[in-house]
Amino acid sequence: MTEAAVLDCECFQTTDGEIAITNLNSARLRSWNRFYQDPQRAGAAETVLEHEQLTAQFAGDLSALGRLEAFGEQLGRLDAFSSRTMMIQAQIASALHRFSDARHYLAQASLGGAPSADVMRVLLNVDQACGSHLEEVLDERRRIVAKSGRFEDRVALGALLADVGEFNDADEIYRQALREYRDVSPFPVAWVCFQLGMLWGELVPEPQLARAEHWYRKAVVGLPCYVRARVHLAEICSATGRAREAEATLRPALASGDPEVSWRLADVLHAEGSVGEAASHLEAARSRFEELLDKHLLAFADHGAEFYIGSGGDPSRALELAEINLKNRPTLRAFEQTYTIALGAGETDVANEVSVRATKCWGNAPAFQLSSFVQGSLETGKGAAA
Amino acid sequence: MSDHIDGPRQIGDPAVDITDLLAFTSPENPARTVLAVNVFPTCGVDAIFSNAINHSIVVRRAKVAGIGEATKFETADPEIRFSCRFEALERGAVDRKPVQRGIFTFPDGQTLRFLAGNEKGASTPDGAFRVYAGMRSDPFILAWLIPAGLKKFQNLLFNDNVLSIVVEFDTQRVLDPGKGSLFAVIAETIPIPRPGALVGHEPPRMDWVGRPENTNMRLNNPRLTGADDIRDLWNQQTPFAIDEKFRPLFLQRMKDSLAEWDMRDGKQDWTPSALAVNASMFVDDFLLMDVAKPMTDTSHLEIERSTINGKAYQTGGGRTVDSDVIDILMTWIVNRDREFLEGGTTKATKPGTKTFPYLASPNLDLQTVVETIDVGAAPDKVWELIGQFGSNWHPLIAEIRLTGTGLGQLRTIETVDGKQIIERLEAIDNAGRFYRYTNVSGLSVANYTGMLSVKPNGVGSSVEWRAQFLPNGQATIAVKTIVSTLFKVGLDSLKSRF
Repeated sequence: MTEAAVLDCECFQTTDGEIAITNLNSARLRSWNRFYQDPQRAGAAETVLEHEQLTAQFAGDLSALGRLEAFGEQLGRLDAFSSRTMMIQAQIASALHRFSDARHYLAQASLGGAPSADVMRVLLNVDQACGSHLEEVLDERRRIVAKSGRFEDRVALGALLADVGEFNDADEIYRQALREYRDVSPFPVAWVCFQLGMLWGELVPEPQLARAEHWYRKAVVGLPCYVRARVHLAEICSATGRAREAEATLRPALASGDPEVSWRLADVLHAEGSVGEAASHLEAARSRFEELLDKHLLAFADHGAEFYIGSGGDPSRALELAEINLKNRPTLRAFEQTYTIALGAGETDVANEVSVRATKCWGNAPAFQLSSFVQGSLETGKGAAA
Repeated sequence: MSDHIDGPRQIGDPAVDITDLLAFTSPENPARTVLAVNVFPTCGVDAIFSNAINHSIVVRRAKVAGIGEATKFETADPEIRFSCRFEALERGAVDRKPVQRGIFTFPDGQTLRFLAGNEKGASTPDGAFRVYAGMRSDPFILAWLIPAGLKKFQNLLFNDNVLSIVVEFDTQRVLDPGKGSLFAVIAETIPIPRPGALVGHEPPRMDWVGRPENTNMRLNNPRLTGADDIRDLWNQQTPFAIDEKFRPLFLQRMKDSLAEWDMRDGKQDWTPSALAVNASMFVDDFLLMDVAKPMTDTSHLEIERSTINGKAYQTGGGRTVDSDVIDILMTWIVNRDREFLEGGTTKATKPGTKTFPYLASPNLDLQTVVETIDVGAAPDKVWELIGQFGSNWHPLIAEIRLTGTGLGQLRTIETVDGKQIIERLEAIDNAGRFYRYTNVSGLSVANYTGMLSVKPNGVGSSVEWRAQFLPNGQATIAVKTIVSTLFKVGLDSLKSRF
């Protein structure tokens, strides 16, 4: 059996993506109605949170982040200090990458008597996102998977294994999640396919683009409106000389208003010689990035940094954003991004300083040996001042 | 809720979640029987059936195999299966919404392709079967706060919609009641296998339902502290054939739960042996109907109740659209029919209809009006003016009279153009500078909830006035304009005050 066939075995019939998105949107609107009718009703607020999170992740609707923020404010007015509100506020803050706020809310929720398992679940996500206590988080993630076997717990473990450089284990966990999936919602399947695409296309030291493309494509087939998957798929198409295919992949996602779509499309069009249209998409991307950074700085700082060090053409803005992101979540990836951008911006002193800090924070982690700090020095003979 | 959201797994795709199973004699033609299954609890107005699921209603012949404390209902092969699956959306014209078609497969092997949402439904050429699938008003009534004991409440499913699949058929031809007129019915949702799909395991059962509330009220009684949630395990059981390995677990949980229900009114009405037989009956989960006897709005569970009471049953049992099944069930399990327990209401959002497809048309979406304004004064200052439920600060209001105090108090508003509006205070939080109220009369609306709040905004304040409602008797745009104008004028007047 070819690898492609083996991979195909692990995906199966799910609800049509268009139907699922329509249903999500309809359920989302209804959940807001129910929340306004009776905000204290058990589950009413939690359902709104869940629907908006799904919408932000899968429906290509970045306005969901604004709604989440507004929702947090309304909840704060209705029931400011209950542990239930604190738990929801923590999840909203985490979704918007306001991790210190999230920790504060979790501490309050815990004091207010929120179930410790619920607090722990969100705290693990925050720690993982910030690269904090990863060994303990990994132990806990493994324990949870062994106990619950739940799909979302497996995916979280897979993501963490990928973060710490255990790529084959991450791959196996993701596939296991797919094999054991027992639902028909396309969202979780698309999510794992996307994670597998990221794993093989971006996280491993030597990307396997064909393998990554396979998974991104599956994510897009299952969920055509999955903007992030389209963007990554288009990047691979573009990198492998298929500009037309990249363009065709991106155009349906333009309506989402996601600046990454406009940015990548601008790059593709520029390479094809459509300079005028490329420039207008690039301007749209810049303007949208700034709008999002203005509203949700921490959630988009790393994306903005990538944009400005690339076609956005503003290395100092890129470095500024990368440093904001690094301060917010000092993960190895954030260090690598800041280091690379600092070098790209000609800020060698800053790059060296970042390298020293990265070595101090991450030098003992196995993943550090696979990072650009070490690999870069092997390749170039220069490398970081570690 | 009647198996509404009856397991953590349904969060994946709510369209696979069965809310209710109905079985009744056709109001249009007593020689025909109607079976209906509802899915997707509290769905919004655009909801669509999943195309990855086979929706089935399965009927088996049943017989009373024991009465009194030996009560037992046995079911027999072969199964009489009605299956329905849906396709992906079809693109209509550019300016038209996409449509969805489905295919029904009947017990005699006939198939029928139909258009979802078509009010007229579709019929087989021989007229034996008629089907409908689409959105309807949720007929369910849950007017109790179940976790709180026996606390009456408004219908928690007010204004909800569900996706309904309705099949009506010629009773004689399909069920042949001459061989026995008692039948057991279940509904189930199962993923559709595809070639090369679901490798490594059989398609799991997503959900199934027999009698209402086997999961949410009985197996997952919220007042059994420390009890694991076994609803997913239950939903994966094979109907009519509960796994013997798990049966003791379900039976013990059912006994514990029913014992707790029995004591909710402080009186023990069930002896341990009667409670055990009741538990065993509920674990054998299927809806019983006798097609030779009348199925009415009150006949739900009568077959089971009479049999356990050692008597011959008199009705067709089943479950009609307007059955108040929660009150019937609670009366039975709390006090064994000693005294009827009536919830906060006995009416669903809309009653069933006498014409096909018998479930009422869907409810409209709530309309929302939100107006905000920023003012330069501190929040406490602003709240001091507008935060009293009875304070008259609005330029369009001539007079306000308060009736009562605290939550539940009414304000009667006389507008400057002579209209009268009555509103009830539902919640107030002076520290949070927020109050919520409902409309009692005076606006062409139903289900109106208003909210007024003040929050800090820099050195000043931001005031938000919001309402949600259903237009009732006037065009939506007209009602929204009235409410929006009322809010805007009121908020604008604050500018000149601060």
